[in-house]
Amino acid sequence: MIEYKKFQLENGLSVLLHKDPTTPLAVVNVLYDVGARDEQEDKTGFAHLFEHLMFGGSVNIPEFDSPLQDAGGENNAFTSNDITNYYDVLPLQNLETALWLESDRMLSLAFTPKSLEVQRSVVIEEFKQRYLNQPYGDVWLELRPLAYSVHPYKWATIGKEISHIEEATMDDVKSFFNTFYHPANAILCVAGNIEFDETLELISKWFGSIPAQPKNVRNLPQEPEQKEFRSKNLVRDVPSKAFYYAFKMVDRNHPDYYTCDVISDILGQDKSARLFLKVKKELQIVADINAYITGSIDKGLLIISGKLNDGKSFEELEAALWPILDELSSEEINEKELKKVLNKIRTSKAFQEQGILNRAMNLCYYELLGDANEINRENEHYKAIRSTDIKRVSAQMFKKENCSLLTVTPSENAK
Amino acid sequence: MLNRSLAPQLSPIEDVDFRSPMCSALNGIPFFHMKDVANDTCRFDMYFSAGKVHGVKSLPSIVNGLLLSGTKDRVTNKINELINGLGGFYESGISMENAAISVYCLRENLIPIMEVLIDAILHANYPEKEVAESLNDRAQQFKISLKKGNVIAQREFQKRLFADKSNYAQVANIEDFQHVEPKDILAFHNANYINGLQKLVLVGNLDKEAILQLSNLLKGFNASKDHTSTFLANMPQVHHAEIPDAMQSAIRVGRILFNKQHPDYLEFMVLNTLLGDYFGSRLMSNIREDKGFTYGIGSNVVEFENTGYFVIGTEVKKEVREAALHEIRFEVERFQNELVSETELNLVRNYMLGQLLKSADGPYAMTDLFLSAEMNGKDLEFYNEAIHTIKSITPERIQIIAKKYLNWEDFTVVSAG
Repeated sequence: MIEYKKFQLENGLSVLLHKDPTTPLAVVNVLYDVGARDEQEDKTGFAHLFEHLMFGGSVNIPEFDSPLQDAGGENNAFTSNDITNYYDVLPLQNLETALWLESDRMLSLAFTPKSLEVQRSVVIEEFKQRYLNQPYGDVWLELRPLAYSVHPYKWATIGKEISHIEEATMDDVKSFFNTFYHPANAILCVAGNIEFDETLELISKWFGSIPAQPKNVRNLPQEPEQKEFRSKNLVRDVPSKAFYYAFKMVDRNHPDYYTCDVISDILGQDKSARLFLKVKKELQIVADINAYITGSIDKGLLIISGKLNDGKSFEELEAALWPILDELSSEEINEKELKKVLNKIRTSKAFQEQGILNRAMNLCYYELLGDANEINRENEHYKAIRSTDIKRVSAQMFKKENCSLLTVTPSENAK
Repeated sequence: MLNRSLAPQLSPIEDVDFRSPMCSALNGIPFFHMKDVANDTCRFDMYFSAGKVHGVKSLPSIVNGLLLSGTKDRVTNKINELINGLGGFYESGISMENAAISVYCLRENLIPIMEVLIDAILHANYPEKEVAESLNDRAQQFKISLKKGNVIAQREFQKRLFADKSNYAQVANIEDFQHVEPKDILAFHNANYINGLQKLVLVGNLDKEAILQLSNLLKGFNASKDHTSTFLANMPQVHHAEIPDAMQSAIRVGRILFNKQHPDYLEFMVLNTLLGDYFGSRLMSNIREDKGFTYGIGSNVVEFENTGYFVIGTEVKKEVREAALHEIRFEVERFQNELVSETELNLVRNYMLGQLLKSADGPYAMTDLFLSAEMNGKDLEFYNEAIHTIKSITPERIQIIAKKYLNWEDFTVVSAG
């Protein structure tokens, strides 16, 4: 059970406070309700580029990092298709420094041309290092537009292409800030051995005077139901054939979300999962095979991915894979197998709750989904799943016309 | 009116509460137990003297990956099913000198999981089919890794860093995964696992009864008698491996140095942080934040039982490889030529103390911090010395240390891309 208190400042900032008397550290986590799904199609990669610019100095403080390091702290951030999340971890006695820094960059940035120029280059190198200059590195750049036809999940967080980042202007940056970086669009969590009154007073002191702005209304194009099987093959300089099956699944707040998660675990979480036992151990078609969900807020994907053994074909994989998916859709799984998956989820959850940073981040994330307290109900949601749910949801998901398949073939044996 | 330009008052970190696990022995094997865990999670680690230097042709890493490949009574699928069914996560890993296995689970399941796991390792018989499958998977992973610039740079760096041709210089080759003699696997298993147990680590709120059960389960293992004794020297050299069509160049610059046993170690770690071990470091400020050459650059000290090495690593835009190397050299030599300012040094002092506080936070982090000292024969007093050094080191000492250990002529410089 993660306990917390919730407040809202007059300017619309949501505040969560979590007390942990066992640690000398404090965490300040700020989640902004903006991700790559909020970008325009001709200016992708922007939410992430912007995250880099948030470290380039704010209106009253020339540098973000050094005052925090001077306080004995460190910080980082990440961007996804849904959110941008910033966090600071520092000794409790210097908590105010993090509040001072985070509030100033919520108020306004310095917008220096040098920062934009350098971060454009840094992000382009990140693009190369993580997506282009890696074997199989670009599959997500290709899989997203295959699986999504209109929803902005069709581009990756890093962006569609390098040129969008190269062409970002200072006007773009300012307008992005004005739209998305203000109190009503943010959730702040402070965690540590804190006193609630005193902490709330500090938060009001630094964040209270940031001008209120109405929350941006999100109006994203909704992905229509997929009605045809889609596939694409890439020829790349890689040693082995690889495959990525993407099945559309429900959104994060749908009651069947947790069932989809469990289905992906039954199929491909570990070495006793169905796909591993059948397609790898028994049939020896693949060298590795996994299943997982993207976990996105809008309708997500259940992915089955892996690499073929030399000499095996995608057709052999197809012939082995579909009967396994059909079996899940037509036969109820036994209690023992379901219990195994739920036991592993219980272990993972317990470990996630160990760290104070994780707790602070998750509180903000669940609050964004609608209610921070959902974090404490997750185990119940998982426990409530019945074998009939697994069957029902599998039958909805594992249809050929609900599937997009990306394959990668080595350039050496391309036909 | 709130003055936002004025930073809040800072309070320095005075000391850190380092907590030692209980140190004892189970069947003569050193045993470290951190009992103070607030929830039901636990972790159990077994360390073996079965690292890469203990064998040739990737045999140590092949055996490490096959520890749960089956016994005469239980096939591998059954072993995995039992461990996973109890909500356990099994990990095995290998470093230069040691191999380790770890189990993460809820404490109520630890003993039943360990019953399965220890039986599997004690009686592993490495079925032919499992070995063949594993070699096939390894070969595929190996071929994929050779498509990565940073892997190629690391391989070329390692060959020159451990230039005395010892086992430390070995890198994997595709032939390693084509065939392995069953008798070699069994011999390695017997010498380095069954008779190579080095230490046991438990983090979790388990009682005496559970520990007694663990101790009974572990009876088939014997303590390692093997002590790696190493004296290494790198070959100062510049080497470039061309990779056609690469978009970036991976760079490794470094030298053989020392580990925690050396009297200059703590002072060097302050210098290392200033140079490349935090976001505001000289290397990051220059090569990323000023020039935009890279997504990231850093330096660190990798430690072995009796020695260690220093390395700077990055991946840069291919066109600026030479310029990046020039800037790296410039930043390294600047510590020899100029005194670091008190402001910068103070910031790094505060940052390092904060990192120590973080490394000691919670039972899992604290245990790992303890183990890092224990590996070099130190106890937690080492970290109190660290606090003292961080607080008292002067700009002059930093310069002396830089002149002693950061001479460009002593470095092995490798790039790939």
